Amino acid sequence: MDIQAYIESGVIESYVLGMADSQEAAELEQLSRQHPEIRKAIDAFELALEKTALANAMPPPAHVKEQLFASLDGDFRQDTKMAVGAKTFSFTRYMAAASLILLLGSAALNVYFYTQFRASSTAYQALLIEKSTLLSENQNTQTRILDMYGSMQMMSDPTVAKVSMPGVKGKENSLATVFWDTKSKDVYLLTNKLPEAGPGKQYQLWAIVDGKPVDAGVIGACAGLCKMKNIPKASLFAITLEKTGGSPTPTLDQMYVAGKAG
Amino acid sequence: MEVVNKYNEPELVLLLRQRNMSAYTYLYENYAGALRSVIFNIVNEEELANDVLQEVFIKIWKQIDTYDNLKGRLFTWMLNISRNASIDTVRSKSFQNNRQNRELTEDVYTAAGSSQINTDVMGLRKVVHQLKEEYRVLVDLSYFQGYTQDEIAKALGIPLGTVKTRLRTALIQLRDIIKP
Repeated sequence: MDIQAYIESGVIESYVLGMADSQEAAELEQLSRQHPEIRKAIDAFELALEKTALANAMPPPAHVKEQLFASLDGDFRQDTKMAVGAKTFSFTRYMAAASLILLLGSAALNVYFYTQFRASSTAYQALLIEKSTLLSENQNTQTRILDMYGSMQMMSDPTVAKVSMPGVKGKENSLATVFWDTKSKDVYLLTNKLPEAGPGKQYQLWAIVDGKPVDAGVIGACAGLCKMKNIPKASLFAITLEKTGGSPTPTLDQMYVAGKAG
Repeated sequence: MEVVNKYNEPELVLLLRQRNMSAYTYLYENYAGALRSVIFNIVNEEELANDVLQEVFIKIWKQIDTYDNLKGRLFTWMLNISRNASIDTVRSKSFQNNRQNRELTEDVYTAAGSSQINTDVMGLRKVVHQLKEEYRVLVDLSYFQGYTQDEIAKALGIPLGTVKTRLRTALIQLRDIIKP
């Protein structure tokens, strides 16, 4: 159908003014749902009519309003203002609510992320410490391996004499070994098996030179081989338990091990 | 009177349905004058127009739930209530005392025409007055007096089709006059 001709037929104006019969009205309502331009024409005429009526208003005398409101007095709801305030669509109110929710959400996320950050930071510090601990342990191990390698080299050197010192009578379970470089005369000691020295006590190595004991050094807390004093000449090596720091002469009844050199 | 947009229409309708006094006061302040002008155009008496206006506002108050915003603007709905109430009043018992078995007779021309100078120059009639005579009579009889097109055709001795066509043309001209 020709929509434009329909719009210009006057049926819209007739409908809006309440002059259309029920058949015309039903048809128009149907068509206005299908054709936006008809709806637009209806709206435009309604608005123009309203503006014209308002422009030609004849304000009633005050007593009409007074009478009207007096007759409706009991019908007004006192609390509607509050109820309506909550229900009325207000863009700014929705925006304010949305902003508040966003702010709270953002704050919660901040707390969450800060907690996460703190946890990660702590874990990272722990990892750093663990890493440096591992590194230094690794270095210690490497040093020990190098030392042991050096010791093995030294022990297997044909110029190094091995003096085995088994336990003396009453100390049969004890054992120590002296590695004596016959060229440099350096002395190294391996304490294979010796009881715990105990507090205030320290083992001391002696070299017997021409029947006389010579101090070859106290045994400290060395891993593996302990480098002792340089001994140019010796017929016997022995270990006694002395007071910490060693003694000038050996306490013979405290002898643990002894072994003949050469 | 200029409309102050304190509420948009859906808001206003919602508030009226909730029996909100300030919304109702706003409605009265903004529209009473416009509706009274149309009522006066139909009943032609100031005091009677005031009575009808009061009746119309009570109807608006009581029937706001029947207003359907899909069918049109709130003002259109109120305007139609005003027109119907006014025409009913004119045809009511008090009028029947004066004009027993009111019928559309040859005097329609005097009723609709120059004898009502005072109402012609007021309200919506002022706009209708701008139409050509043959159109103005039809609008007056059908809109302001509420006669059916059939009644008008018979009374004026014009074919129904002609009444229909002329009335539609009159309304299109009216539309073009009030178009912003």
